[in-house]
Amino acid sequence: MNLIAKAESGVPKTQAELLFEAQQRKERRFRVNVALTWGLLLLLLVYLFSGPINIDTGFIKENMLFIAGGVGETIRISILSIILATLLALMAALGRLSTFPPVYALSTFYVSLIRGTPLYLQIMFFFLALPQLNIRLPGLWAGVIALGLNYGAYMSEIFRAGLASVGKGQREAAAALGMTPSQTMTRVVLPQALRFAIPPTGNEFIAMTKDSALVAATGFVHELMWRAVKVGRAQFHNLEALIMAAIFYWIMTIILSYLQGILEARLAKGER
Amino acid sequence: MAPPIVKISNLDKYFGRLHVLKDISLEVPEREVVCLIGRSGSGKSTLLRCINFLEEPSHGIIEVDGIKVEGGEKGREHRQLVHDVRLKTGMVFQEFNLFPHMTVLENVIEGPVTVKGMDKQKAVQLAEQTLDSVGLLFKKDEYPNRLSGGQKQRVAIARALAMEPRVMLFDEPTSALDPELIGEVLNVMKKVAYEGMTMIVVTHEMGFAREVADRVIVMAEGELIEDTKPEELFTNPKDPRTKALIDRYRSKDEGDPIEKKRRMDDDCHHPQDQSALQRVRSYTYRAHAH
Repeated sequence: MNLIAKAESGVPKTQAELLFEAQQRKERRFRVNVALTWGLLLLLLVYLFSGPINIDTGFIKENMLFIAGGVGETIRISILSIILATLLALMAALGRLSTFPPVYALSTFYVSLIRGTPLYLQIMFFFLALPQLNIRLPGLWAGVIALGLNYGAYMSEIFRAGLASVGKGQREAAAALGMTPSQTMTRVVLPQALRFAIPPTGNEFIAMTKDSALVAATGFVHELMWRAVKVGRAQFHNLEALIMAAIFYWIMTIILSYLQGILEARLAKGER
Repeated sequence: MAPPIVKISNLDKYFGRLHVLKDISLEVPEREVVCLIGRSGSGKSTLLRCINFLEEPSHGIIEVDGIKVEGGEKGREHRQLVHDVRLKTGMVFQEFNLFPHMTVLENVIEGPVTVKGMDKQKAVQLAEQTLDSVGLLFKKDEYPNRLSGGQKQRVAIARALAMEPRVMLFDEPTSALDPELIGEVLNVMKKVAYEGMTMIVVTHEMGFAREVADRVIVMAEGELIEDTKPEELFTNPKDPRTKALIDRYRSKDEGDPIEKKRRMDDDCHHPQDQSALQRVRSYTYRAHAH
């Protein structure tokens, strides 16, 4: 770096260079301190569970693979649910744009109903209430529908913002070229709105991997949480089981957030 | 005289209770270049936008190349007629409105391919020709955000031209541009004019109006208050409002060194002059060199 060369050659530094270096030092010091504190907190956790809090490592070793087996199921249910949620959110957002009252009403009704009731209730509804009406959904699908419906309602705001981000001028330019309203939507508005919606949808996906734990309560989907609770209860080792599940969720979230960061950076650089 | 490409009869437009266009009738024959000038709020942009139904006229008839559309109608038949009119008109906006998610080339082929169903290869050929004519073929694979304002507007002109319209509508095409970028856009417009396109241009560029327009129409309060040859208008304005408008531009032009320089650069050349096109071309290329 030529700053070093300059320092060695003894040429005095300019005011700007000195300020820049001071700023850099400050930032570096901050990052180091943050990393150190993280390390300390992690060590503290490890210490707590190795001495003062007595945990059964034998149990952990025995059940590690069984609980880890739930990661795949958690991701599977999250992916299926986010796909359903995205479709519903897009339809709800388009419905909000409609000038046809029933469509607009359907969209607002759906969003209001779902946002006005707890996610846990919705999940239980699909597992416990529907069978009373002789509607029996396979376990996984009941979970996917509940999660998808719920997230779809919340995510409709994302797509609404995405559609709103496409200016009136874009629609006018398309209309002036002779495009029909549906061509304008599919060729001009949606591609831009969807690009806008990708990063927040990623965030919702990360949130969903954790909310999918609620599905465990039904006992039909053998994902991470269900497995942890099952073995924990059976051998009265809930502490160990839940800690293991927590670690898996945490690692999953860290990896997904990292991927999300890469995706966002790439989109930000892209052809906007 | 050639038959009119655009014929507007008794056009009225209301925004709510505001009467913005008052019983306007106007004919534009083929190959004519008409500049619409007037203060902001005079209705000139609205009039332009009524021609391709970006604004639905409240009453009146718009006729473009033989397609007659009654304003204020609804329904399938009306929509079809509006669509037909839009195929005959190309529009250039103040804010360019290029599609940011498409490359320059994709922007230009979008209309021919999606709207006209043209074969993609043919459309690319056509688009490359059109881009070449605005001096931007070398930018065909760039995205719009990598272009300057002047380049964006030239691509927007190419996009409209690729639809092979009978008439081009320009809605203040240089108003959103930095002064030093205005010239390249005006040069492209001149070239389009000299190649025989019928044009209706809403503009504040008096130099362009004086040099290129066959007719200048002045609007005020939703009415056409003057409709004459440019030299007539600039030397002998009839309406006091026109006079005020022209004085305002004159003082603005003289005060702005870039504007003055551009006017000297653009120094009048006559449409009949064979070298005119050549000179316009050289301007265009000079403009894209930097």
